[in-house]
Amino acid sequence: MTTRTLSVLEAVREALAEEMERDPRVVLLGEDIGRLGGVFRASHGLLDRFGPERVIDTPMAETAIAGITMGLAMRGLRPVAEIQFADFMHSAMDHLAGEAAKLRYRTGGDWTAPLVVRTAYGGGFRGGPYHSQSVEAFYSHVPGLKVMAPSFPDDAKGMLTAAIRDPDPVLFLEHKRTYRAITGPVPAGEHVVADGRLRVARAGDALTIVGWGMMLHEALAAADELAAEGIEVEVLDLRWLLPIDRDGLLDSLRRTGRLLVVHEDTLTMGLGAELCALAAEAGVLSVPPVRVAMPDVGAIPVADAMEDALIPTRHKVVAAARNLMEKGDSSPLRGEVRPGGPGWGTSFDTTIPEASSVIEVTLPEVHLELVLAALQEACRAVPQCNATFTWDGIRLHDQVHVDLDLGPLSPARGGGTFTLVDYGPGGSLLGLPAVRPGQTAALRVGAVREGRAYLALAVDHRAVDGADAGRFLQALRQALPER
Amino acid sequence: MTLDLDRAYEVMATARQMDERMWRLARAGRAHFAVPCAGHEAIGAGYGLALRAGHDFVAPHYRDLPAMLAIGLTPREIFLHFFAKRDDPCAHGRQPYAHWGSRAHGVVSQQGPQPNHVTHGVGVAWGSRLLGTDQVTWIGFGDGGAQKGEVHEAMNIAAIHKLPCVFCVENNFYTQSVPSRLESARPDLAARAAGYGIPGETVDAMDVRLMHDAAARAIARARAGQGPTLIDARCYRYLPNTSNDDDTRYRSREEVEEARRRDPLLLLRQELDAARADAIDEEAMTVAAEAAEWAEAQPGGDPEEVLDHTYAQRS
Repeated sequence: MTTRTLSVLEAVREALAEEMERDPRVVLLGEDIGRLGGVFRASHGLLDRFGPERVIDTPMAETAIAGITMGLAMRGLRPVAEIQFADFMHSAMDHLAGEAAKLRYRTGGDWTAPLVVRTAYGGGFRGGPYHSQSVEAFYSHVPGLKVMAPSFPDDAKGMLTAAIRDPDPVLFLEHKRTYRAITGPVPAGEHVVADGRLRVARAGDALTIVGWGMMLHEALAAADELAAEGIEVEVLDLRWLLPIDRDGLLDSLRRTGRLLVVHEDTLTMGLGAELCALAAEAGVLSVPPVRVAMPDVGAIPVADAMEDALIPTRHKVVAAARNLMEKGDSSPLRGEVRPGGPGWGTSFDTTIPEASSVIEVTLPEVHLELVLAALQEACRAVPQCNATFTWDGIRLHDQVHVDLDLGPLSPARGGGTFTLVDYGPGGSLLGLPAVRPGQTAALRVGAVREGRAYLALAVDHRAVDGADAGRFLQALRQALPER
Repeated sequence: MTLDLDRAYEVMATARQMDERMWRLARAGRAHFAVPCAGHEAIGAGYGLALRAGHDFVAPHYRDLPAMLAIGLTPREIFLHFFAKRDDPCAHGRQPYAHWGSRAHGVVSQQGPQPNHVTHGVGVAWGSRLLGTDQVTWIGFGDGGAQKGEVHEAMNIAAIHKLPCVFCVENNFYTQSVPSRLESARPDLAARAAGYGIPGETVDAMDVRLMHDAAARAIARARAGQGPTLIDARCYRYLPNTSNDDDTRYRSREEVEEARRRDPLLLLRQELDAARADAIDEEAMTVAAEAAEWAEAQPGGDPEEVLDHTYAQRS
């Protein structure tokens, strides 16, 4: 069979074109898919080739796109809708999860909706909260839907072809970072991958890593690194997220006994939870499983360092895998891969070399704004204290984003670059703040007594040395108004 | 296209008899759920008899029992659906009553959240266009449903592409308990058609002749490729919203009695031979009673089938 090297995006386009050529019932609809060829150019050239009857530019109306797609499928067409970004899928969810997925069941097989909704998901593009989301967990909880997420160009073509021919509704998730970054051999002509099985992307026997989309490629990179240390991991490309290839997963785990799941979707209730549960129920694990995932943050920030701090990388996978390999028994995991609460549970080493120093200043009872203003000055003078750890090194910030901890009822929300603790008049005179994971310093203001208060600075010694801490406190003192 | 008034009365009287029987059965605990159509009969009969049964498609309103009769579902089939029996042709025991659906009759499966079937109906109509047929899709929904955002999206797209469909608001002036004045600042829903560049028409939908004429015009227009029409069909619901509703909490008995003076069956009866109308009433009562009794005795939904039909292939 002839193969060519194509990108994931080119493979998607080829599948669309070949299925439209083969079956006149296949029609495309979505926003900007015609004249523009799609915002990612997945349908580039198809309007000219197949005409406006079959390549339909719709108004900006995701709900109607999904509902009309279902109606087209009910009528006997084979519609393929594009929702530009997975982040916009929420408006379409009712018609996918509430309607198309239930149609066959609720009519006893009388009506069916063989449709495909394609969408671009995933971060790493500085797209911010509404152009970066991963939505697989929402839809993988919906029986009646199929959810596919290819990682390689040949699967992008073969699985999309299978999706278009599938008698059931399919959500087809395309990771936007794979579109152009991932290339590989793709068979020319008819190529259908309809087996519903996961793909062994790399064989090994020490440990099983499961991923999909861009994270699968991070897992493969991690596997290279681990192989250099003599750890041969098996990397499974899940690719069929619903229904899950349970047998394929368990086959691998029976050989390795160790499971690491990596996904870009957030941790809690992510697909990792289901995979771990399947493995645990089957009793195939010799040590507890590990998930490397996006922390449970509210959204994906646009700032480079912030986004980079969140999205799982090969380094995090390597660290988690090493940790997993050290486990010889089923004792609870410790250290950096310990599942945590909301926030930073899986991302950072929690044992930080800290140091602290204290000064006494004059301060009025109402002082928060004064302290915040002084902090700006001090951070400008000693930027090491307003910094973030990333895998590429310590990143200094121009702007101070303060995580304000005002006591147990109003704790810091996380996501900032510096932590200020101030429990007010009810607090103790002197307390040491904790440096929040990822940050380099934190300041605590003690309770004000007779116009004076202690300021305690804690720093991470990997980023801030004692002289820096002293200069920071000095700058702080100078920036506070004299009485 | 002239309306056979005897046939229209037969459909409406049968629907009324079935409706009343369903209400009593549900309240007596012999069925799960009743959704009355009393007061809406002229709409279903009017458009149902204007469509080409078995050819055109319907994405019906849930109060369209009369339309289902008009296009060919039998009273027995409808009672199978009402009792959630194994052989329920609409939902095979999986959906409550009035969630219409039948591929054989071109009835687009109806769902719970209103009115999600409006976009489905537009898709079906679009499909007919792409397949090159002259089939029309009738899309019915309530005045409550008309306020939902996706109805705008659907009408806009149908208008852009001149799709072969009809949008019919069955306007009974309540969204369950919420009155029209809290649904829409402007009570004239047909006026919205101007915003889409399509015809809009307000119809006294207690008069089946007027309703049928308006439906026939809109259907002919759609079939001729001239695009959709929006019909604001004014009616009144005589009974509570469903068997789980208590309408005394939100509307007066006087208001309901006033509306009953223009009962669509009474209005049509004035045009018929009295003896003929009596005979139709008699027959309708017999048919409804027989169908209910027969259906209630049929086998119920089968737990052996409970895992079937999630996917084409059982996993």
